[in-house]
Amino acid sequence: MNGCEQYIYMNNAATSWPKPPQVARAMAEAVEALPGAANRGGLRDFDVFGEVRRELAFWMGISCPEQIALGCNSTWGLNQAIFGYPLEAGDVVLFSGAEHNAVLRPLFRLEQKGIRTVEVPVNGGGRLEPASWERAVREYGPKLCIFTHASNVTGAVNDAKALTAIGKTAGADVLLDLSQTLGCVPVRLSDWGVDMAAFTGHKYLLGPQGTGGLYVRPGLSLSSHMVGGTGVMSDLKDMPAKMPLRLEAGTGNEPSYHGLLAALVWARENSAEESDWRTVFGKLTEGLLGLGCQVIVPGGETTPVVSFAIPGVPAGEAADILIGSYDIILRAGLHCAPDIMKDIGMEGGTLRLSLSRFTTKDEVDAVLSAVRDIMESGGV
Amino acid sequence: MKYRWMKTENCFSGARTFEYEFPMAGEEFLSFLEGWEVRVNRKFRRPVFSATRDGLEMKGILASHVVKVNFTEAGWEQEKEELEAWLEGIGPEGGLE
Repeated sequence: MNGCEQYIYMNNAATSWPKPPQVARAMAEAVEALPGAANRGGLRDFDVFGEVRRELAFWMGISCPEQIALGCNSTWGLNQAIFGYPLEAGDVVLFSGAEHNAVLRPLFRLEQKGIRTVEVPVNGGGRLEPASWERAVREYGPKLCIFTHASNVTGAVNDAKALTAIGKTAGADVLLDLSQTLGCVPVRLSDWGVDMAAFTGHKYLLGPQGTGGLYVRPGLSLSSHMVGGTGVMSDLKDMPAKMPLRLEAGTGNEPSYHGLLAALVWARENSAEESDWRTVFGKLTEGLLGLGCQVIVPGGETTPVVSFAIPGVPAGEAADILIGSYDIILRAGLHCAPDIMKDIGMEGGTLRLSLSRFTTKDEVDAVLSAVRDIMESGGV
Repeated sequence: MKYRWMKTENCFSGARTFEYEFPMAGEEFLSFLEGWEVRVNRKFRRPVFSATRDGLEMKGILASHVVKVNFTEAGWEQEKEELEAWLEGIGPEGGLE
């Protein structure tokens, strides 16, 4: 894999690696082939975006693929949702303390426009508890509720069905961030009643960077955060009303979507559920606890993400040693989710290891051995 | 000596982290760190060092030509200028390809 064999890659919550080999092949073929719209979308063209939408509908548990707008990542989708949703000064947006800056920063902008944003803290494991969510919904009567399906810091998976139902008691629409779960844990948007869901292709869907977007339930109309050419209805002054065109301005990332399509087809035949990742992940978590690390253990359903600290060794220093001395690729810091750090008692940031279905027990052993070395010598 | 630098990603609050590459390995670089508080650990698979002075921190692998520097949030611009002036005055002539 291009000289990368020496590395132990445990940064899948940021970008998954490796990818199924079909992904790179599909992307290379797409670059070399005529562009998909060479014939202006006629029968001779292959509509990769339409095919991706159909595959994604399967993974999301929805029956209306045309309601999925494709862009470049979850941040794109979250911005489309947050800035496109009809909010007025005085409206309340409720969100969880586990949110990523892709949610927090757009909400900061909304605050400056007079929209009230209210954060609901998560528990010590990084999970949004239905009881605290319900209290906040009752107290603030939000128009829009936003929460992540799983924390990118602790891996805690939220009960999306229950939390969505709670939001609905106030008549709110619900925006769910699927960045950390789609392709890893089951998602059933229609069953859960979710109104909007942002997703990315480059994490557990195993696709390339530069893919992702937003699902919007039928009947909910967003204003277009970005406007531009759509290839059709060019006589209109504004974006078409119909999804997905309403949110898709400009030329799409066709080669990367060919890559994502290849990943989705591969994943249909190779379900993550059939892999051994839970066993491998359990070995890692138990090993870190056994070594005496401070480990955030959410309990219940999780993604293969664990945050921890090595007593007496600053997270940044430990990360530098793991990367520089042992070729272990991980992340240290706030993980673009600054607000959760207080809730989980790790205000200075954490070390984060995030596995994939391809992570092996030998790799986990090597990581534990390196962490043991650092603990025994107390860092540099 | 000549060097090149690049700002690196760092997710910690207030971090100002840069990498410097120059034509000597960390092991040799240590000999220029008079006045710094230097720590070396040779127990790791690739031995490492760190050096601190006035809130400034440099870290690296002894066998590597790349050093990571954490400047302070308040004074990082001046600290960076001073460090680079110092680097230019030490080590071998010429250097990086």
